[in-house]
Parts: sequence; C-alpha cells; structure tokens
Amino acid sequence: MVIDDLNKNGGLLGTQVQLVPYDTRGDGTEAVNAVKRLTGQDKVIGIIGPNASGQAIPISSVLEEMKVPDIATVATNPKVTIVDGKVKPYNFRVCFIDPYQGAAAAGYAFDVLKAKNAAILYDVADDYSQGLTQFFEKTFTEKGGKIVAKEAFKTGDVDFRAPLTKIKESNPDVIFMPYFFKEVALSSKQARELGIKATLMGGDGWPSEQLISMAKDAVEGSYFVNHLDFNDPEVAGFRTKYKTAFGKDVELNGFLAYDATNMLIDAVKRANSFDPIKITAALETTNMTGITGKIVIGKDTHNPENKDAAIIKIVNGEYIFQQKYAVH
Amino acid sequence: MDLSWYYLKGILMFAGINMIPVLGLVLLTGFTGLFSFGNAAFMSIGGYTTAFMMIKLGVPFVPSLLIGGIVASLGALVIGKFTLKLKGDYFCIATLGFGEALRLILDNFQYFGGARGWAGIPLKTNLTTVIVMDIIAVIIMANIVKSRHGRNMIAVREEELASQVIGINVFKTKMLSFVISAFYGGIGGGLLASYLGFLQPKMFALTKSTELIIIVIFGGLGSISGGVIGSLVLIILPELLRSFANWRLVIYGIVVVFIMIARPEGLIGGKEITFKGIYNLFKKISNKNKINLGNTEEGGS
Amino acid sequence: MTNFLQQLINGLSIGSVYALMAVGYSLVYSIMNFSNFAHGGVIMFGAYFGYFFITLYKLPFPVAFIASGLCAGILAVVIQRIAYKPLMDRKAPFLYFIISAMGVSIFLENIVVATIGPTFRTYPAIFSELPIKIGMLNIGRIDLMMFVISAFCLGFLIYLIDFTKIGKAIQATAYNMKASTLMGINADRIIIIVFAVGGILADIAGVLFGMKYTVYPQIGNITIKSFIAAVFGGLGSIKGAVIGSILLGVIETLASGYFSSQYRDLIAFALLIFILIVRPVGLMGKVTEDKA
Repeated sequence: MVIDDLNKNGGLLGTQVQLVPYDTRGDGTEAVNAVKRLTGQDKVIGIIGPNASGQAIPISSVLEEMKVPDIATVATNPKVTIVDGKVKPYNFRVCFIDPYQGAAAAGYAFDVLKAKNAAILYDVADDYSQGLTQFFEKTFTEKGGKIVAKEAFKTGDVDFRAPLTKIKESNPDVIFMPYFFKEVALSSKQARELGIKATLMGGDGWPSEQLISMAKDAVEGSYFVNHLDFNDPEVAGFRTKYKTAFGKDVELNGFLAYDATNMLIDAVKRANSFDPIKITAALETTNMTGITGKIVIGKDTHNPENKDAAIIKIVNGEYIFQQKYAVH
Repeated sequence: MDLSWYYLKGILMFAGINMIPVLGLVLLTGFTGLFSFGNAAFMSIGGYTTAFMMIKLGVPFVPSLLIGGIVASLGALVIGKFTLKLKGDYFCIATLGFGEALRLILDNFQYFGGARGWAGIPLKTNLTTVIVMDIIAVIIMANIVKSRHGRNMIAVREEELASQVIGINVFKTKMLSFVISAFYGGIGGGLLASYLGFLQPKMFALTKSTELIIIVIFGGLGSISGGVIGSLVLIILPELLRSFANWRLVIYGIVVVFIMIARPEGLIGGKEITFKGIYNLFKKISNKNKINLGNTEEGGS
Repeated sequence: MTNFLQQLINGLSIGSVYALMAVGYSLVYSIMNFSNFAHGGVIMFGAYFGYFFITLYKLPFPVAFIASGLCAGILAVVIQRIAYKPLMDRKAPFLYFIISAMGVSIFLENIVVATIGPTFRTYPAIFSELPIKIGMLNIGRIDLMMFVISAFCLGFLIYLIDFTKIGKAIQATAYNMKASTLMGINADRIIIIVFAVGGILADIAGVLFGMKYTVYPQIGNITIKSFIAAVFGGLGSIKGAVIGSILLGVIETLASGYFSSQYRDLIAFALLIFILIVRPVGLMGKVTEDKA
C-alpha cells in the first residue's frame, strides 16, 4: 500500500518502485532461499521483513555477502542484530527487542499492578516466547517479585489444562502468557474454565481480531505490551486506509511493516541513491517518527533505541491504552 | 530465464546437501523396504554434532562432518535395536515417534540453543565440497547396493520370510541399512548446518522426514539415480516456481498417490543410469540410423 | 487432592479426544490391516465441514452434524477408491499403501492451506462455555460430551461388529477376504462400509475437536498421538485403541502436572517405547489375529 502511494506520488527519487513478495512459511531455510533469490536474482535494494527472528537470524550471512540491508518487522530476538557483541552490518529492525518487552511486562506487573507473585506459561518450542519469559523472570525477580510457577507447552498444543492446573495451585497474582493469539485464546479460556481468577498478561503476540472473537470474556481485564496504541489518533488514519484497501483490520505486523517500509524509503531519500550499501549507511542514522513511535536507530545496535512500550488493557473487547511504559 | 549465479549456486548447494540424506533413505526404504518417518532426526544429530565439534571443540570442518555422521549412526544402532524387529506399520509409527521425540528434546536443550536455535555456526559448506561429497556418496552407495549386503537388503524387502530361510540374518541386514542411512543423514545435517550457519530443531520436524521420503518416491524407490535426479528436480523446481509455493505440497500429495497407483517405480523406473547404460542407448540410436541409411540405399539403387 | 482429581479429569478429557480420533483409525486397521494415515485428514475435514455448515449455511447444529458426517463418510470412501483400491487390486506390497496414505494426508492438509487459508476458525459457541462445577473441580461441558460420545461409539461398534449380521460379515472379511467372498460376502461392499463408518467416526471427532479447540489445517498432527495410543492399546483392537487413548491422556496429564509440562509429548513416545519393548502387540492386542 505504501509502495502504491509512493509510486502514485512520483515514485522514489524519480523512479517507480516494485515490490517483490515471497512467503517464507515461517521456516528459516525457506527464508534463506528466498533472500538468496531476492538479492541474487531479483536484485532488490532492500528487504522488508521477515517477521520472525527464527528467519531473520539465518539470513544475515546472505545479506552480508550480497550487501543488501534488511529491516525486520516483528523480530524481537536480540540475536537478529547483534551476535557475540558485534552488530550485524546489514540487519536492522523496527521493533523493540525481547529483553525490553519481557522487562516492560514484568516492570508494569510489579510497579503498577502491584503483583507480588507471578506465574509464567510459555511455549518451549518458540524462541520469541522463550525470550520474553527469560527477561520477564529476570526483571520481576530483580524487583523483588516471586515467580511461583513456570510451566511450558509446545507450539501446536491445544490443551493447557495440565500446566494451568499446576499454576492454579500456586496461586499467582498475575499469569504471564508470552505467546501468540491462538494459544492465548485457548489457554485463557481454559484457565477461566478451571476457575483461575488471576490477571493475565502478555506481549505483542496477543493483539488480533481472533483473540477477541474467541476469548473475549476470558481475556477481559488483561494487559499486554505492545508497540503502539491502536487507538492513537495518529494511527487511526492508517487503520482506515488499510481497511478500505484490504477489507480487513490491520494486524500488528501491518503497522510495523508500514514503518519499516517508510524507514527504507527515508533512507533511500537521504542516501539519494539506489545503491544498497549507501542505503545501509543511511539506515544507520535513521531518526524518524513512525506510526509505532519514534524510531532512532542506534549505530551500534541497529535497533530503535528507547522505543516506548505501550501497555494495553483489554476492556470489553476493546484495546484501551493504559500508558507508555519505559523500563527502568 | 536469466538466473543469477549466486542464486543458482545456493539452490544447487541446497539440493546437493539434501541429496545425501535422500540417498540414505533410498537404501533404507527403496532397497530394504523400511518406511522411516524419522530420518530427519539423523540429520539433526549430525547437524548439531558437527556444530558442536566446530564451535566448542574447534575441530575442522570435514572431521566434524564425519563425526556427525558417526554419532548419527550410533543413534541408529540404539533406535534400531528397539524398532527394527517391528512389523511395517509399527516401524513407521515408532520412527515417527523417535523423530519427534528427538526434536522435542532438542527444543528443550538450552545448551544447543533450544527452540531458539543455534546461530553462529561457521560457514564452511561451498559448492565444491557439496559436489565432491555427492559424488563420493553416490559411488559408495552404488557399491553397497551391488555388494552381497545390498542384495541381502533387496531380498529382505521382497520376501522377508524366504530370506530368513536361506540364511540371511534379517535383523542384521536391516540394521546395516538403517545405520548407513543414518550416517548419510548425519552428513547431510552437518552440511546443512554449515551452509545456513544456523540450526533450529524445527528444521528437522516431521515435515522434513516427509519431504525426504517424497523425493525418494518420486525418483523411484529402488534407484540411486532416482534419488539424485529426484533431489535435483524436487528442490530446484519449487525454487523456480516460488510464486506457487502454497500449491507445491498439494501437488506433491497428488503426485505421491499417483506414483503409487500408476508408476511405483517412480521417475527412473527402478533402473539405474550408468555409463554402460548411456553407451548402450547411444548404440541403439546409431544402429537405428544405420538401418535407415541401409534402406535408403537399397531403395535408391 | 483436588489438584490430583482435577488433573485426572483433565487427563480423561484429553484421553477422550485421542480416543475419538483413534476409534475410526483402529476400525480401519482391524479390518484392512493397514494404517490409514489419511485418517487425520478426514478428521480435519470433518471439523471444517461442520464449521462451514454451521456458519456459511446456517444450519442448526444437529443437521450440520449429520450433514458433515455424511460428507466425511463419503470423503473416506472416495479416498479408499482412489488411493487404496487400485493397490489392493494389484496386491501391491504393504509399503505402497502407507506411502499412498501419506500422500493423501499431505494433499488434504495442504489443499486446505492453499484454498481456504491457514488461519484458524472458531466454531460459534453452541454449548455453554461455563464448566460444570463439582465442588472445587471444573469439568468442561464439551469434554463431558466427548467422553460420553467416545464411550457410546465404542459401545456401538462393539454391538455392530459382534452382534449384527453385517458385523459378522466384516469380521469374516477381515479374517480372510477370499474365503468370505466364496461364502457370498461382497468384500468390496464391506470395505466401503468400513471406510464410511471410519469416516463418520472421524467426523465426530473432528467436529467436537473443532468446537473445543478451533479448526485449522494441521489438526491431523494431533492424530499422531492417537496412532501412538492405538499402538499402545494394541493395533487391531478397537477396545484397545480406546483404552490406550484414555490411558495415554491420563498418564500424559499427570506426568505433565507432577513432573514437567515441557516434556509432555515425550511421555507419549516414552509409552510407545515402553510398550514396544515389554509387549509389542499392545495392551489388548493378541499375538494371533484378532479383530475388534
């Protein structure tokens, strides 16, 4: 959609932009093959996506070999941009990272919700979930809270009552559920079925139309960490435009993809060139405001620095923005 | 279609890497008749072992690969002990079970990165290495098949009871086949690890085992050349048809059923492409021409 | 104590899910002596059939249920016709059947992904979401339904096979197809009936599963646990499949609750290994051929 607008308005630096889309099917190997094709065959100047860290990490060697920059959208694993203390020259991202998200959730739970005991239910087969869990646990205990239960399941599981019963037993104030909306819907419903009354919390994998349609009552009064406030008036314009163009509500990834695309376009304009190497250099000094917040790319990390996390509460099936929370 | 060499090289390497586990499966399923749903597990054993050897112990690439293959074979020894005595169905489900079980264990094993994967594996796989290994793999496999062991395997596949009667140690034969297929799988896994620089347990889930089997079936169950050509076709073709990715598996499903019903010998048809075979083919064609010329001459005069 | 009881209930309900899925699979196995790996795909289709009949065609639940059962039954028979019958006629080696079944299952899963799309669908809430409370324990309504229905299905199958004329025909065909044909049994028709019943059972499992856990193309993967449960209980014994499934559900849940939830799936595989070592024919399997 962004590309279409851009082309309508005279294109980028005077040329029309073409979008070459590939689906990585959530698989790291597919991602590598796709990126090889994009860089070698299609000769793209920049890549938007992939969305998951599991794919963003393996493509870095291809990017370095072909010298083409990539902006990951929702890849939150720190290793996407930094490995062994060194930043990867061609990987960037437009979202905040797991450590930040997990810590934000923990901080909010302890400081604002005044939770003393927390339980965690996480997906052991998912790197995103493991990442958030690790940092939630760290921050929560550092602040003086206690993790009373830490149970796991595997992606694809549909029945969570065994671990949930154990969690119920431990009587937590808050249950952290850092995984994606499908499992969230199922597990939250089952939790309520079991009579669990604790407040539920989650990360940016939560927001989705299906979460509300499936588990509206179960997630009533829950909180989650998000990249932005959906109801922010600045965002509303984008949402309507999206809905008109595609007939559906925009999902989280859409917001970030929008920002990522604009980040790339901004870099091209500043580099005033289509040379991927120059674009990469320009990306390193990005300082713009996207619909997901301020995006200031740190040269050493290629991550947006100090990006605000938004805490959202689900009330009556609506996402109500609570506050911006920064990790101390 | 104008293909960039870089891209093409990548696909060729990928096909070549997968070819080796496929060859292992050709031996196991094609020649010995054992349908394993878990050979991707051997790839993962090989892959992680190779990565471990290189990263933690600093062992150079090729020895790491070989150790990876050996460890995978050891795994097969253990698994085989439990499963090879079972009837076909049971063996399928059991290997499936082992494959998934191993993946689960790896998902939880944080030392190897767990589900989040292990990044930072040195990139040592290049096209030359892959081609060399492929050639070696094919030659060794061809020799195995021609040997007494290979013939035993075929006998076991065809008629297990009869083989036992003539004195073939069915269990040992099956185990040999299983172990070799594991070794090949392990090498493939190691090559893959060093090609991607990154390993994740879910790369070796049931889908991978299924993909390997599909290639074997497509190329032809008892054919080494089938395995080679099958790998090339079924890995390169989908890359070229990337836009139809969603339908790829649908077509695979149909093709598999079709092959079973109409042409179980697969693409190659149970025969092997050998140098002699190609020579004979040329001879046949040139003979035909000679006869034609003869006729014309006769007719002309 | 309540914790234990609650986990027990959890285990029984998961076990019922596995049992419902295993019943149809085991029926086909006991008659045809082969693992219909495509069974998972039929279950998944059953879930989708039910879903679309209810949401798209707005049929009332009982009608939708029956309609989807018919569709699934027909699907199962079609699969048999296309993918298995040609092999049977040719007396193909058993390996081919499994491969063909695998092909069908891949096809089924991916045709859904390619056409309708991989996102999951939710059944509208037909039954009350509120659990039944007994003291401190909570039992989901759908779970209770699944438990009761799987018991009912098992009972029905036992009745069908042991006590009716058709049942005897099925047993005879399973025992020796040639001889039964000589006795005047139309083996082909029996096979169709068996697959159709298997399909209907798959549909029941699918619809209930979909109601409880959402509808998505990969439902077939859960069936793998049912296969394991069927092996555990004894391939070829329908009672074994049901009992094996319930046991698997309970053991899996208790282990998850008392040891570690991360390794829950490993329990299934551990049980598999255990039974393969100790008693390879399964709990209720007999060394000689025994059906139902």
